[in-house]
Amino acid sequence: MSEPVLQIHNLSVDYPTHVGVVRAVDDVSLTVYRGEVLGLVGESGCGKSTLGMAILRLLRPPGKIAGGEIVFDEHNLLGLDDEAMRRLRGAHISMIFQDPMTCLNPLQRISDHVVETIRTHQPEVSEQEARRQATELIDRLGIMAERLDDYPHQLSGGMRQRIMIGLALALNADLIIADEPTTSLDVIVEAQFLDLLKDLQRRFNLTIVLITHNIGVIAELSDRVAVMYAGKLVELADVYPLFDDPLHPYTRGLLNSVPNISLTEDHLQIMSGSPPDLINPPPGCKFHPRCPRAMDRCRVEEPPVKEVQPGRWAACWLYE
Amino acid sequence: MTEQNLVEVRGLKKWFPVQKGFIERLVTRQRQFVHAVDGVDFEIRCGEVFGLAGESGSGKTTTGRLILRLVEPTEGSITFDDVDLAALSDEEMRRMRQRMQAIFQDPFASMNPRMKCGDAIGHSLEIFDVAKGEEKRRQVLEMMKHVGLTPAYILYDKYPHQLSGGQRQRAVIARALMLHPDLIVADEPIAMADVSVRALLLELMLQLKQEFNLTYLFITHDLATAKYICDRIAIMYLGLICEVGTLEQVYRNPQHPYTQALLAAVPVPDPHARRTAPMPKGEIPSPITPPPGCRFHPRCPFAEQVCSQEPPLLRPVPGDEEHLVACHLV
Repeated sequence: MSEPVLQIHNLSVDYPTHVGVVRAVDDVSLTVYRGEVLGLVGESGCGKSTLGMAILRLLRPPGKIAGGEIVFDEHNLLGLDDEAMRRLRGAHISMIFQDPMTCLNPLQRISDHVVETIRTHQPEVSEQEARRQATELIDRLGIMAERLDDYPHQLSGGMRQRIMIGLALALNADLIIADEPTTSLDVIVEAQFLDLLKDLQRRFNLTIVLITHNIGVIAELSDRVAVMYAGKLVELADVYPLFDDPLHPYTRGLLNSVPNISLTEDHLQIMSGSPPDLINPPPGCKFHPRCPRAMDRCRVEEPPVKEVQPGRWAACWLYE
Repeated sequence: MTEQNLVEVRGLKKWFPVQKGFIERLVTRQRQFVHAVDGVDFEIRCGEVFGLAGESGSGKTTTGRLILRLVEPTEGSITFDDVDLAALSDEEMRRMRQRMQAIFQDPFASMNPRMKCGDAIGHSLEIFDVAKGEEKRRQVLEMMKHVGLTPAYILYDKYPHQLSGGQRQRAVIARALMLHPDLIVADEPIAMADVSVRALLLELMLQLKQEFNLTYLFITHDLATAKYICDRIAIMYLGLICEVGTLEQVYRNPQHPYTQALLAAVPVPDPHARRTAPMPKGEIPSPITPPPGCRFHPRCPFAEQVCSQEPPLLRPVPGDEEHLVACHLV
């Protein structure tokens, strides 16, 4: 495998609330390798977005990192001062959010966004040169150059999301974190966007952490997949074995309950129950109350993440 | 076909005027309209799940609201159980709504945050003078058990914010069923729910349909989900229906290039089945000035000259009377 770009060791994130502390990310370890698309999947509240925000240290207070390490380019990001972190964001690690309308400044032209992004991090680049780069960039995204001087509201949703990926590419970031990048898009526009992302990823050997609840998008784009449940990493594997033969009962249940348009069966399998309240998580494995294969041990002891087969990790006592 | 139609929609249009500034109005003098629904015909048969699918801006939600007469049509007629809804007075329409109920996408927005869950579910009983007090409570508790809101006597006194997303959507479903309606207009009823909850809600909706003899108009953007619940489905594009038929006909044998693209675009949860089909260029055009001829022609890979000149009519696919498509090339 290629070199690691990002290494997360035992990361935990807490949200103190007036009724108790919510551990949104609980002791998660992950490595992202150069040139791969790592899919991070789970239901709402599983901690996948929190994990993405924690990497960039953009957690909204009172959320805070309770422990662990995030190693990027040989630095522990948790030890950097605010100024160093600011220089890193955008230039080395970029983020694409779900809703491009709220991420683009409505009073700034698209060209201003790109030029500002470039010149903030590379002040030596002239205004003209930055504009030239912006034109080149927008062309790569399949948007006509004359749209460069439009305001965000003049663009369609799909184009706005393309601009977001353009901004992430403007400085050749080493790592792109895409949090539900297609969730606000209609299905044909989503497919166009995924095509673009796939193409750019291949051409520039991009490293992407793709966070989404949409299992179809994960299957379409990921090389490896990490599954989260109730703040825990429960399974991590290459995309093919994960879909062909999921190890963790949660992964299996999740995949079986996804509607699949290409199959002829007309019944979805149902996973009983719902994700736990993280203020009072169940003891032992957090999935045991919903697990069809729960054993006595699962109710008292939390399973560690273990390499069950080469390259395949799962947190489940079935693989003891 | 001898099945009876519960709803018949004929030539239905809804144009919303575009708001303009005063000066602009003086200068242009021209009124513009959003052609949200621009002449649709279809029928919903008793006891079926009729799907209405399309991307945002296709007019599917407006069509649903028109059927409930939550907005007044610009043109066309809606017949519900042989009654022309346009002919009804406001009071008559209000009473008619006992027989047609709605479930909306966001269960948080469609429940009064200051009303206890049980009271919200039973509110319609009071409004229509069906039951109140202890009797209302009894009926509500029974319905709550039907939709799986248990323990009902505890959840009855909870406020919406104390319920989970799945529970809230169950409460909204229970509320829609309290008056034993014939038709439920369900507008993206499970779009907000998590994957594992969606399957449960779909199953619940199908089970309740049997129990209460319901007919559904199921409005959705999600063709993968529609597959598990709809009997027949209409695909909308820019205010018009471009294809309608049974699920089998539309999914296995799509005739309209737009339907084909829409079906191909749905991401499949299987890395072995990654999509290779190219996607149509561009996005859905503005409904203020829809393209002439076939509305899909600027994006259609097969478009011919006639497509940009004449709007295609919705006609049966040769050899298949029930499967209608609006395309010159079929």
